[in-house]
Amino acid sequence: MASVSGRFRSDHQQPRAAGPRLSVQDLVKHFPVKHGLLDRERKLVRAVDGVSFQVMNGETLGIVGESGCGKSTTARLLMHLIEPDSGAIAFDGEPVKGTAAALKAYRRQVQMVFQDSYASLNPRLTIEDAIAFAPRVHGLARNPALARAHALLDRVGLAPHRYAGRYPHELSGGQRQRVNIARALALQPSILILDEAVSALDKSVEAQVLNLLLDLKQELGLTYVFISHDLEVVRFMSDRVMVMYLGKVAEIGPTARIYAAPQHPYSKALLGSMLSMDPDRRTRSAPLTGDPPNPIDPPPGCRFHTRCRHTAPVCSAHAPDLDVVGAGHLAACHLVHAGSAHPDAPRGVEL
Amino acid sequence: MSTLSATRPAASDADDTVLAIEDLKVSFGSGTKQIRAVDGVDLTLKRGETLALLGESGSGKSVTLRSVLRLHDERRTRISGRIRAVGRDVLELSQRELADFRGRQAAMIFQEPMLALDPVYTLGQQIIEAIRRHERVDRAEARDRARVLFELVQIPSASQRLDAYPHEMSGGMRQRAMIALALACRPRLLLADEPTTALDATVQIQILLLLRDLQRDFGLAMVFVTHDIGAAIEVADTIAVMYAGRIVESGPVRKVARTPAHPYTQGLLATRAAEGGLNAGLALAGGSKRTSRLPAIPGSPPDPADLPPGCAFAPRCSKAEAACRAAPPPPRMVRAGQMSRCIK
Amino acid sequence: MDQRANDTPHVSSHDGAEPLAAVLRSPGYWATVWHRFRRDPVAVGAGVLVLVIIAVAIFSPWLTPADPFDGKSFRRLRPIGTAGFPLGTDELGRDMASRLMLGARLSLFMGVTPVFLALGIGGSIGIVAGYIGGRLNTVAMRTIDVFFAFPSVLLAIALSGALGAGILNALVSLTLVFVPPIARVAESVTTGVRGRDYAEAARASGAGSFTIMRVHVLGNVLGPIFVYAMSLISVSMILASGLSFLGLGVRPPEPEWGLMLNTLRTAIYVQPWIAALPGLMIFITSITFNLLTDGVRSAMDIKV
Repeated sequence: MASVSGRFRSDHQQPRAAGPRLSVQDLVKHFPVKHGLLDRERKLVRAVDGVSFQVMNGETLGIVGESGCGKSTTARLLMHLIEPDSGAIAFDGEPVKGTAAALKAYRRQVQMVFQDSYASLNPRLTIEDAIAFAPRVHGLARNPALARAHALLDRVGLAPHRYAGRYPHELSGGQRQRVNIARALALQPSILILDEAVSALDKSVEAQVLNLLLDLKQELGLTYVFISHDLEVVRFMSDRVMVMYLGKVAEIGPTARIYAAPQHPYSKALLGSMLSMDPDRRTRSAPLTGDPPNPIDPPPGCRFHTRCRHTAPVCSAHAPDLDVVGAGHLAACHLVHAGSAHPDAPRGVEL
Repeated sequence: MSTLSATRPAASDADDTVLAIEDLKVSFGSGTKQIRAVDGVDLTLKRGETLALLGESGSGKSVTLRSVLRLHDERRTRISGRIRAVGRDVLELSQRELADFRGRQAAMIFQEPMLALDPVYTLGQQIIEAIRRHERVDRAEARDRARVLFELVQIPSASQRLDAYPHEMSGGMRQRAMIALALACRPRLLLADEPTTALDATVQIQILLLLRDLQRDFGLAMVFVTHDIGAAIEVADTIAVMYAGRIVESGPVRKVARTPAHPYTQGLLATRAAEGGLNAGLALAGGSKRTSRLPAIPGSPPDPADLPPGCAFAPRCSKAEAACRAAPPPPRMVRAGQMSRCIK
Repeated sequence: MDQRANDTPHVSSHDGAEPLAAVLRSPGYWATVWHRFRRDPVAVGAGVLVLVIIAVAIFSPWLTPADPFDGKSFRRLRPIGTAGFPLGTDELGRDMASRLMLGARLSLFMGVTPVFLALGIGGSIGIVAGYIGGRLNTVAMRTIDVFFAFPSVLLAIALSGALGAGILNALVSLTLVFVPPIARVAESVTTGVRGRDYAEAARASGAGSFTIMRVHVLGNVLGPIFVYAMSLISVSMILASGLSFLGLGVRPPEPEWGLMLNTLRTAIYVQPWIAALPGLMIFITSITFNLLTDGVRSAMDIKV
């Protein structure tokens, strides 16, 4: 075991200053909706509309939210697959420059595992070539790259002599997702973004892949950003959780706190929608009515106020900031901010 | 309330059993390349009951469901056994009788409403067409019934929404519209094929509760196919767990959820409980909140074309022994009402 | 195919000095396609027939029983089965069998060459436009669409008419007719592949555009484009014959099936079977190419 992990503890393990690995500040990304003859832009999909958060070293940050919340767009922004309209992403304290060299260096540190295990693999490449592709792009010669690919296959539980020469369509969904994880690890990154990485798998296979992710994280000292719609899985995997709604952060904090006592009304509704595992304590009423709205033309002020039962005039007038409501726990809601203009908010501290 | 009773199914024959499946076997393909998707399924369902068919991919749950309406391509499918639904022997129906049966006696809702709804007609038109196909009513009355149905499934502004096209509605709304369409002709049996799998969490719970309420109000019998145990526990009275084309465990939801007998069910529940930590309410995972690893069933679901001779779960089962691999275990009553296909 | 391995992970303790273990190799994509193709009797039959026709065309000067250009008016329009002239004679007394064989050369050439040229030109335009996307794509594709809006026959005739008759001009005009549809298909296939997760994953690995194009895009794109181009061969043959029929392509006395249809037009009242023979050859060759293309397309359609 020591030698396998020893090979992968490479140049990324230099001592680094304490602080967040990734720091996101006021990230904004809008997509134009194309209309008309000449693809004129009429409306904007406000996919990510002012998102700030940090990812600390060695943690798993879970991101949850429903359709239209912007979590997948955030993932792609973190990977620099798309460029933000405004806002900053800093890696280890330094902003990532747009030059090709800087991006290439960044990509060695931050990698991604996608949801669709089949679409993530080039059907024409063998498994070993697919995994060896990235190292070769970064300068590794063919044989060492293939050797690394074989070692990674071994590490994710697929015997190299049986799988390295195969093609994606010959593998099952769970096996393909293991290949995708191996592929993501090929550059020896320190941060892995998992965008619904286990969502398409059967439940029994999902547990295996989650265990693999846990083992790898511990062994290689990785940091995870874990995006999922499955609230139970996120609870199990994450140290901290971020709840997104319509392109903004609703709440972020330690997993145990958020699941036990969510502060934002949307978080309460979302977590209250988890299905009961106890037949005698079935859910009586749905916490929220209607569907998640479209991120085109979101409501003014707080995005959630049109569906919130605690809404007050201040909510439509003024969008709440993401403020502290507990240790390491932030929420964007007037109701829980001490001293805010909401009639039911706790009193501010008199100094 | 007269319109409400108009949409309620009429109580006719005293027979309480709405669905009875005996030794159902379904194979696809022909000649040497036959795949046995369902391998001897027995089910009964009474009026007002909900049965959850729980299983992963390849378990045969959807195939079983679709067989009740005979939705498979007759040329490439071989079905044997008996299916009695709402007093009719489904496998013996002629094409005309089948067309009357579908929608009227038994109706189905699907996972992807966009695929099940016709995109070039408004919802109202589709419901009206369904009603008038089975009953002699004029357009005005059919439209009124459609409006009532929309209100029942909690679609706001029902009258206006009748004139909406499927693509103009949100996901949850479309699913409600599909439920309304299924209930339009007052069927006695509702077949639900993973209706909430593709929905967001807050919408999923709404639809599950809606189905529960509608089923209770109309005395429907419902078969709910899912891969999510949570959904099964929320809606079902009885759970039947399928694996590799057979039912490996079945029983009342309390018994199966609290004291699962088959190792596969035990594995699924243990995983889910471990993910849920203390909140699960079931003492399966042990006390600690963050177990370092999940109890996981090794291996993957079997390929229906390549099943082992004995118990299909044996290759993945920690309790397997030689007897398990020799022959498929027979059903065994573990306790009152709970069956398990396991010799342990 | 053993797909379901035991998924419990195990750790091996090799360090970097060991050579790579021997690996179980699956047959590559094209090998699999060939195996599937071989099992389709219709496709194989069509393939064999195409090869026969091509062989006859290539070796026709040595295969012709009589001189295709030797016409004696006293033996005009002899029926099929005449001694020494198995398929009869044409309106100038020349042996039909020989003319048909030699005509295969030009007809095939006029059918296949424009498609391959258009594949090169249109394919490149489409792939580049599809890969780069954005404004360039829009401008290129909309321009191509202008030409695509013309019916192919009309466009071929117009271009040939403008350029004048002759084989070279006919080739040019036919090539131009096929560039737009191939470019459109190439662009749409490339756009599709470019949007796939594996291309995004390659970008996320830090690969540059050329590398992604070479490793990920081309391999997945060339197949479908090639098959589409193959399906156009029969169309091209018919169009070429049509041009020759109208006097815009091949000029007499060169034998070419379309031209022969024209010159034998009036003979339809005297020897209808003879007049129909060139058309029959065009028909058989087109159908055979179509069946072959269908077979290749099915063989390439490997499902997950």
